[in-house]
Amino acid sequence: MHPLDLIIVLAYLGLITFVGLRLSGRVKSAHDFFLAGRTLTWGVIGLSIIGTNIGANSYVGAAGNAYSVGIAQANFEWIGAIPAMIFAALVFIPLYWKAGVYSIPEYLGLRYNQAVRVAAAIITSVVAVVTIAAALWALALTLQTYLGWPTWVGILVTGSIVGAYSIAGGLAAVAFTDMLQVCIMFVGGLVIVGLGLAETGGAAGFASTLVSDNPNHLSAYLPADHETYPWPGVILGLGLVLSPAYWCAGQAILQRSLGARSQWDASAGMMFAAIAKTFVPLLIVFPGLLALVMYAEIEYPDQALAWVVKNVLPPGVSGLMFIAIIAALQSSIDSQVNSTSLMVTRDVRYVLLKNPDPSKDLKVGRMLTLILLLAAMVIAPMIAAMGGIFTFIQTVFSLFQGPMLALLILGAFTRRVTPAAGLWTLLSGVVLAAAISLMGLNMLYVAFIGFVYAMVALWVISGFTEAREDMDFDKLTYVPWRRS
Amino acid sequence: MIDLPVAWANYLSMGGFVLLGVLVWLIPRRLIFQGASEASRWRDIRWWATVLIALQLGLYAIFT
Repeated sequence: MHPLDLIIVLAYLGLITFVGLRLSGRVKSAHDFFLAGRTLTWGVIGLSIIGTNIGANSYVGAAGNAYSVGIAQANFEWIGAIPAMIFAALVFIPLYWKAGVYSIPEYLGLRYNQAVRVAAAIITSVVAVVTIAAALWALALTLQTYLGWPTWVGILVTGSIVGAYSIAGGLAAVAFTDMLQVCIMFVGGLVIVGLGLAETGGAAGFASTLVSDNPNHLSAYLPADHETYPWPGVILGLGLVLSPAYWCAGQAILQRSLGARSQWDASAGMMFAAIAKTFVPLLIVFPGLLALVMYAEIEYPDQALAWVVKNVLPPGVSGLMFIAIIAALQSSIDSQVNSTSLMVTRDVRYVLLKNPDPSKDLKVGRMLTLILLLAAMVIAPMIAAMGGIFTFIQTVFSLFQGPMLALLILGAFTRRVTPAAGLWTLLSGVVLAAAISLMGLNMLYVAFIGFVYAMVALWVISGFTEAREDMDFDKLTYVPWRRS
Repeated sequence: MIDLPVAWANYLSMGGFVLLGVLVWLIPRRLIFQGASEASRWRDIRWWATVLIALQLGLYAIFT
């Protein structure tokens, strides 16, 4: 590694650790630890949302997928994000604020019952641990490619740094470090775009070289019979199910919105994140295409980004981009750890223990943060045996996101659905999705079928089961046109 | 499903964004400014959404 790169990397690690630990002084209670004392402003929230979102399943994986399928990968940032983010900003964030909850499972608990709350929290937490493990593995691979570190060293170093500031500073530390990390990502990404275009003859030269060898690589959608991303599957599965489930029900994403200083800041933060999200393909899709245009000699598509960093960027700048990759993965890991800790501390512990002591929430939250991180570090090496990082995470998500989204939509917009119907639909929906998935159907269609099943099942079962008498529908449902 | 033209995907996406743009403006103004320190135009996030939707329409028109 060039000495200049090393200085930049060390400066970054020092800055992140300093900022994270400095914010630890603000943490006096669980409210501070999990919701940053409700002090976050829209700018911090927006950038932190992007930092959380750009992780193992996008930075490294998306560049690799872009190398394979082209600009169609950007659908995960456009049709597979923007409509749902607008929907989250204008409908679901105001709803969660009105309900006054800490977490999405807590909202489900109020709208349905405590069993639904625990089931949602456990399912989400299990997926989160796998997601954290995948992020740690992606980061370890990057460190191995670029620095030659053994993967276990990469996992250990990353886990220790993230653990230090996440445990000490809670959501505030996570959000502010995310913000810094996203700024670094955008600077690094834009430098790659500039240098990449300069090396390949400008935008016109880049595009003509790309499509001459890969005619579909500048098409937003791939043919309907495409094995991985058939366009009907992208619109139905990603656009209508996976994306709304992720942006409207994802605890890691929405936790900073719930930590906003006002409802407007929460909604504006999400909308700001959506604006930034539109340009994220420049950071994560372009490097994959650049590797293709420059005929990169790589063994796996997931190595495209690391190849670009190593071969296109000069000393100093490559160090900057290298830390952008670390930052992307770290910001995803820290958010997942913090939000999962919240769900286990409140949504699982509060329901399963007979007399939970709220004054111990902070201590329990910090302990759980450590335990979750250690668990993910142990699982991380196993991710290698499970195929492409991005596809793996999406497959896991697709199993439960359809049923979860159905519960949220019908719960938020109607008074018909009942607690028993919610629980049975959630559990049977996940089982059905897993069974369909085992039959080999594309994950995008699995998500869509799971969602349609859950919508129908929830509606029908609610007709035969008892509604709760004590439900405060004014607080728990979204009715924009009622006179106030 | 196999024979569906790829261009339809772009048309469907653009149609969806136009519909979303209409829905955004059906949300009452009072709900947009909940918790805002002032009700100035730049704080009306329906405008932010409109800009976003216009950007998306452009992208799906270009990458056909």
